[in-house]
Amino acid sequence: MQFLRVNMSTESVQWENVAEEYAILGGRALTSIMINNEVPATAAPLGEENKLIFAPGYFTGTSLINTGRLSVGAKSPLTGGIKESNVGGTVAYSLARLGIKAVIIEGKAAAGKYFCLNIEAENRATLISADALKGMRTYALTKKLQEQYGDRKSITCIGPAGDLQLLSASIQSTDLDGRPCRAAGRGGLGAVMGAKGLKALIVDRQGKTPIEIADQDRFQKASSAYAKAVRADEFSGQILPEFGTAVLVEPINAAGAFPTKNARSGQFAGIDKISGETMARVIRERGGKTQHKGCSQCIIDCSNEFVTEKGDYVTSSLEYETIWAMGGMIGNDNLDAIARLDFLCDDIGLDTMNTGVALAVAFDAGYASFGDADAAIRLVEEAAAGTEMGRIIGNGPGAVGKHFHHDRIPTVKGQGMAAYDPRAIQGMAVTYATTPMGADHTAGWVVDKNLEAFGGTVNALEAAGQVEISRNTQIHMAAVDTAGICDFAQSGLATAEGIENVFTMMSAKSGQAFGQNDWTELGQRVIKAELAFNKMAGLTREDDRLPPMFYNEPLPPHNVVVKVSAAEMDSTFNFLRNDS
Amino acid sequence: MKIRLKLYGTLPAHYPGLYPDSGLIVDISENTTVADLVERVKLPQEHVAIVAINGMLAKAEDVLPEGAEIKFFQPLNGG
Ligand code: SF4
Repeated sequence: MQFLRVNMSTESVQWENVAEEYAILGGRALTSIMINNEVPATAAPLGEENKLIFAPGYFTGTSLINTGRLSVGAKSPLTGGIKESNVGGTVAYSLARLGIKAVIIEGKAAAGKYFCLNIEAENRATLISADALKGMRTYALTKKLQEQYGDRKSITCIGPAGDLQLLSASIQSTDLDGRPCRAAGRGGLGAVMGAKGLKALIVDRQGKTPIEIADQDRFQKASSAYAKAVRADEFSGQILPEFGTAVLVEPINAAGAFPTKNARSGQFAGIDKISGETMARVIRERGGKTQHKGCSQCIIDCSNEFVTEKGDYVTSSLEYETIWAMGGMIGNDNLDAIARLDFLCDDIGLDTMNTGVALAVAFDAGYASFGDADAAIRLVEEAAAGTEMGRIIGNGPGAVGKHFHHDRIPTVKGQGMAAYDPRAIQGMAVTYATTPMGADHTAGWVVDKNLEAFGGTVNALEAAGQVEISRNTQIHMAAVDTAGICDFAQSGLATAEGIENVFTMMSAKSGQAFGQNDWTELGQRVIKAELAFNKMAGLTREDDRLPPMFYNEPLPPHNVVVKVSAAEMDSTFNFLRNDS
Repeated sequence: MKIRLKLYGTLPAHYPGLYPDSGLIVDISENTTVADLVERVKLPQEHVAIVAINGMLAKAEDVLPEGAEIKFFQPLNGG
């Protein structure tokens, strides 16, 4: 496989052999380790020195199911630290089958210039002038590019938010239907792409380059066994296809952990109207799709298609996090408005989570009342238009808090929290605080290990045991994000035999022995590189803290605050820091 | 005394027609626990992993109050 290096300053592309040290890496390990090696930590995130790296997972392009993940990495303009955000759709698989291990975007286009990068078979990659596409929304853009280049293209692009270099700007990627509804949402990576002067990657979906596998038979056996386990699992086999992740809405609310009205409560009165069950019923009654395949090689189909009363398409994949961010978090119980906001964020190229939290902070500060969906829609539209207020919303919760002099800002390292309140699930407090990424949930989802009803063994409302649980999960997830396995296919590796299949595939593909220790070491190596980068970038242990509201305000209905101490937070990754 | 039982996720699909959207009204005696109710309505125990009483997560040994709304969820995961 090869690296494709693109220099936006000189408008040149270069193919490069993969250096030995990167050979057995992929996904997050590749983006994070490479950024730590090549980007000066003090670089301006929107400047020439930063690099934007797109890397398919290590298993992407093989026969293994649910491995269509693309890691996108850079120094984040939102957190000021290193960032990896991953996305499904078709792009990762397409890049891998073109024989591309990573696309590395360097430099910065000259002022006023804008480009698309067209990547085709046989090592052809060209920068195409795209000045006229600047400001275009993603649905119109992808339609136009598909008309021009044919529909056998995967498109990964930014919308007006990325063009304006707003800090909540996402990178959107097309799904199997060619819609730009899959998002690498977090960390403002769309702003980095906009700053580089890159509107879109246009990637040929018809690549046939075989993926090198040292022991094909062994790989095949393990990959079939893995797929069988995912199919047999009730959650990935039956529940996700029917409800998607929205099935979590009711139980997380019942756990008192559904951050409501800018995290003033852990329960939302309108929960019935926005639950996964309600969503699925509405979609069914209106003739939409509850089950929908979003990504290459997927056998789970967690995606859906939400439609209007007349049956017209509104948005694809209404997910738990968005239902929370655009629902409970802003006090909105109108499912149609949530779907509309989800579409707008995809179309404008905004992270639904950071944007929902930004709206929540604005509402909390008195800009509008909680539940005012019209105000939310208006503000998101303003972000696209680039008005003063729109830019504030589009720059995320921190910018909103500063503007209104409001101090209830639920962020870590500048990034908005996710849909689990850290007071009611204290393991998530550790993950939000200590992941090098800012308040992400996927970096270390420990909800199941906290809530007894999910099989958890620690008390969700206490600090005891939380550091260890979060640490282990974060290390494991860093390896999962390296392999490129979709989060929801983890049922395949939940058991001892399951994870053994993954080790077998790692070994069969690389031709090297691989076991549990190697998996743990891989995860640790990734986080170590990320911590080292963040330290050089000027982030300190004080940045591994939650904002005061979580330590000072007891969260109803359990009326608890975060009890994990600063020393405990620091103990999570002290052993991976080079100064300890 | 009576309680209202609602099934969530794909649970209702296992028992077509039995559980209306508005819930099933079940007559119970005093001191009936969550575990008793699961047995009473003959749901396989492994299907009922998460239970809420009046909107709050409950445990198997919790006693059902008069007029309560009970929700049953199957085992979930996420991320
Ligand atoms: S389960 Fe969902 S996110 Fe994962 S690969 Fe399938 S459609 Fe994509």
